[in-house]
Amino acid sequence: MIELRGVSKTVPSGDGTLTILHPLDLSIPDRHVVAITGPSGSGKSTLLGLIAGLDAPTSGQILVGGTDITTLGEDALARLRGTHIGFVFQFFHLLPSLTALENVRVPMEIAGARDAERRGRALLDEVGLSERGHHYPSQLSGGEQQRVAIARALANDPPLLLADEPTGNLDSTTGRQVIDLLLQVNRSRGTTLVLVTHDADLAALADLTIGLRDGAIASRTARPPAS
Amino acid sequence: MTFVLLMAAREFRASWRRLLFFFVCVAIGVGAIVALRSIIQSVRSGLTGEARAMIASDVVIQSNRAWTPEVRRDLDAQLAKTPVAARQDSIEMATMVRAERGAAVARMVELRGVESGFPFYGRFTLQGGAPYSHDLLVGRGTLVRPELLAQLGIRVGDRIMIGGQPFTVRGVIEQEPGGSAGGFSLGSRVLVDLADLRGTGLLTFGSRATHQILLKIAEENAALRLVREVRANFRERFVTARSFRSTENQIGESLERAENFLSLVGFIIVVLGGIGVWSVTRVFVQQKIPSVAILKCLGASTRQVLAAYVAQVALLALAGSALGVGLAAVGIRSIPASLTAALGRVAYGLTLSAVLQGLAVGLLVSLLFALVPLLEVRRVKPLLLLRGFNLAAAGQPWTGSLVSRLRARLAALDLLQAATGVLVAIALVVVASWQAGSWRAGAAVTIGFAGIAAVLYGAAFVLVRAVSPLASMRWFPLRHAVVSLRRPGNQTRVILLAVGLGSFFVLGVRSLQNDLIAEFALALDPKGADMFLIDVQRDQAGGVRALLVDRQDPGAPPPRLVPILRARVTGVKGREVTLDSFSDVRGRGSLGREYGITYRNALEENERVTEGRFWTGEPPLDPDAPLHEVSIEQSIHERFGIEVGDTMRFDVLGRIMQARVTSVRRVEWADARSGGFMFVFRPGALDKAPQTFVGFLKGPADLTARLRLQYDLVTKYPNVTAVDGREIIGRIQKVLDNAVLAISIVGGIALLSGTLILIGAVAMTRYQRVYEAAILRTLGASTRTLGTMLAIEYCALGLLAGAIGAAGAAALTWGVTRHVLDIAWRPAPVLLVSGALLTTALVAVVGVAASTEVLRKKPLGALRAE
Repeated sequence: MIELRGVSKTVPSGDGTLTILHPLDLSIPDRHVVAITGPSGSGKSTLLGLIAGLDAPTSGQILVGGTDITTLGEDALARLRGTHIGFVFQFFHLLPSLTALENVRVPMEIAGARDAERRGRALLDEVGLSERGHHYPSQLSGGEQQRVAIARALANDPPLLLADEPTGNLDSTTGRQVIDLLLQVNRSRGTTLVLVTHDADLAALADLTIGLRDGAIASRTARPPAS
Repeated sequence: MTFVLLMAAREFRASWRRLLFFFVCVAIGVGAIVALRSIIQSVRSGLTGEARAMIASDVVIQSNRAWTPEVRRDLDAQLAKTPVAARQDSIEMATMVRAERGAAVARMVELRGVESGFPFYGRFTLQGGAPYSHDLLVGRGTLVRPELLAQLGIRVGDRIMIGGQPFTVRGVIEQEPGGSAGGFSLGSRVLVDLADLRGTGLLTFGSRATHQILLKIAEENAALRLVREVRANFRERFVTARSFRSTENQIGESLERAENFLSLVGFIIVVLGGIGVWSVTRVFVQQKIPSVAILKCLGASTRQVLAAYVAQVALLALAGSALGVGLAAVGIRSIPASLTAALGRVAYGLTLSAVLQGLAVGLLVSLLFALVPLLEVRRVKPLLLLRGFNLAAAGQPWTGSLVSRLRARLAALDLLQAATGVLVAIALVVVASWQAGSWRAGAAVTIGFAGIAAVLYGAAFVLVRAVSPLASMRWFPLRHAVVSLRRPGNQTRVILLAVGLGSFFVLGVRSLQNDLIAEFALALDPKGADMFLIDVQRDQAGGVRALLVDRQDPGAPPPRLVPILRARVTGVKGREVTLDSFSDVRGRGSLGREYGITYRNALEENERVTEGRFWTGEPPLDPDAPLHEVSIEQSIHERFGIEVGDTMRFDVLGRIMQARVTSVRRVEWADARSGGFMFVFRPGALDKAPQTFVGFLKGPADLTARLRLQYDLVTKYPNVTAVDGREIIGRIQKVLDNAVLAISIVGGIALLSGTLILIGAVAMTRYQRVYEAAILRTLGASTRTLGTMLAIEYCALGLLAGAIGAAGAAALTWGVTRHVLDIAWRPAPVLLVSGALLTTALVAVVGVAASTEVLRKKPLGALRAE
């Protein structure tokens, strides 16, 4: 369960301040798929960054698994991200100097896991890339890179997966495959999935869609329970 | 920990090519340190092992006067208390030899007379592998060096004339025991039997011979005690002693100083490399910002990321240092033999201690210089990943007013980074001091570096300000070149620092070298005396003078024969100093040494009186007067506080004389044609005392005539030694040339480092330039415009770096000539200006050449990649 209580974000700009997010409340139940949509500059990415502890809110509390992450220091946040949160980015952000398998292993190595090699291979297998472990990111297609990124995000089996425009940089067919993979992860592992997207098709698949406009929640649309 | 090491290894795998330049920077500096240290250490271990062979014994007792019966008796008494296993006498002296028949050539040699059993240690190697034996010398036999055979045009079996007597050459000395360490000698070695040497006419009054007693003493402590006691008891009787141990220590100390000095030079090159490392790391970190952000996003703490990159730098530094050791190994093999010949026959190779020191310095300096830029990774926020990167914004643009920029700088000042910077500076002082073997030298070098770096940094700032108005010019390439100098993330400072330091170093060394050579060239004054005669006896003076006048070129100034006596100061009674006994005098350091003194009634051309009055034109004093008159040299006056009016007591060959100081003279030592004396007496007192003459003359210009003159002198006056100044200067020149070559090599390495840093700095900003160039091209700029733009930018940088380097070099030379070497400073405008222009050209060529990719790349590809 993720809970945001009165969370706002302002940044200094010139002589005054610029409000990026007005105080908002939001709760995301475990195992749900939540899509955050909205036009450019509406605060989507900021919201995602706040949930991940990549940025600190100006006010309010953010509870992830019962812990108020706004009280944590940088290193504690890093540990939290390493073990509890997986990331998938629009531009994949694989480490270019590492092979696919090494990229998947990194979070486990950071966390000090022992069987990084075996689990890394299993994860690559899970995203259908068991043959490509020794390739460097530059040798992989966009879709493949994003699948490696998903495998990496799952490395420490985190309860929460955050995705920032995961299909934004992919053609529609590849994008579809990536969406299927993410949803499959959500179902099979029970991972909570929060994604920022422009893609209406993708948003339609979410349990809950949050529409942002000018830094405030403009709409909340819950998908009717599957029949 | 595993993560840190794994990450470091993986990144190393990917980035070593890009950081190749980092490698080379470290490698060159480390190579210099390892090679220089190894050479000196090889020499040291080679020579110290041979200390016994060098003095051919355990202890040498020697005097530059013949043994008197009393001294001999007292020495024997002293030796009776020491467990001496064997002893023998030996005499060494410089003299002239000629072939009995054949070419009319005479050569100066270093003659040594030895007894059977010589040497106690070490071995003579004779040509053809014949064994050395004293029998070869007995009965007017002699062993000589191969060069003497060539010079005299004779062969083994021929006879040479030594001191007017014929000696048969019975063998050729290939190597002497202990080698010829020290390098410089007046002539080649000639070995004869001691009894035969005594039988020649060479050991006349006043002849410059060294009389030695060589001792073999099994017990080291007894040997050392003997040396101590002889020094204490016989000093006043002109006797000294040294042991193989003191010889060893002396060599050891001077070599250690040389080693430390050269290592400091190596360290300077490493620091130049360090600046390269700093600039590489800075750009590297900028390029690694995305990776750092990703790692942080994946849960890595700042410490872990920092550790991974520090480990990576350490790995690179080690690899670079190892490459440096390899370079040193290759370098040592390719040292020209002429350069090392002077240091004796030594097997050169890498020494373990040099290798370890090189690796340690390479690693330390790399880490120190990389640390501050690496700390930037602390500031990288993983949030960047959600925002997209703007690498161009990573550096700070050089705009805004000075105050606002300073304020922005202060606000952005990272305390940890600043503190680390201070620690790094301290650590550099420590490393420099370690390498120099002295805190003062270490601190001086570091502060000097920091000073020049600060000047260069300030100059960079001034340059950017100064050319800023040009940004409003209409000519497009010029306008953009100016803008480039201050573009965000520019390399202006780095290039100025690296190239400026490089050119400073090279030009400084070059102009110092010029000053030194010019100083020595003075001695070759065409008008001055260029031949010197030693040991002319009183009864030979007339004949010698006549011969010289006869042989001189027409119009040459008449030869001069100056009487010379040996004397020692045994007391001073003065206003400021009172020294009652010789031991008091000895307490004043060099005042206690033996001086050559003379008497005359006029000043020489190179002298002028600074205090008191000289007795020019006044009649001689009565020889039996109780108080004579003496004129002292300025340095005696300054160093020992002896004033006009003071009374001094001299021991002139056993005769005690009192003299009042009536004047102080300053001798222009650089003008050596008239010689120089510390003490000049008023005629009268010394006229009848035993004395020899030294001669100064302008010899014939023609070489054959000179050789003929030497030959005839030696034929007629076998005890007289005629030194050809031209030849001596030729020899000094050779030693100097070697030094110059060594300095030039070091300077060249520094220049190479500077160039590499330049290439690296340019290459590192390539990515950004390619992108900019692509945009400009898309907007219609031609290759030529872009090329001109680059050329202007680099010319400006090169010109400034060169100018600062040249100015610094001029300042350095001025300081060193004035305060360290104590020689005249000669401004070298041609050298400095051409140096500055060469630097400009180098920077322009390298800058444009390293940017060819910028000019070649198709715009679309560049824009896509970005």
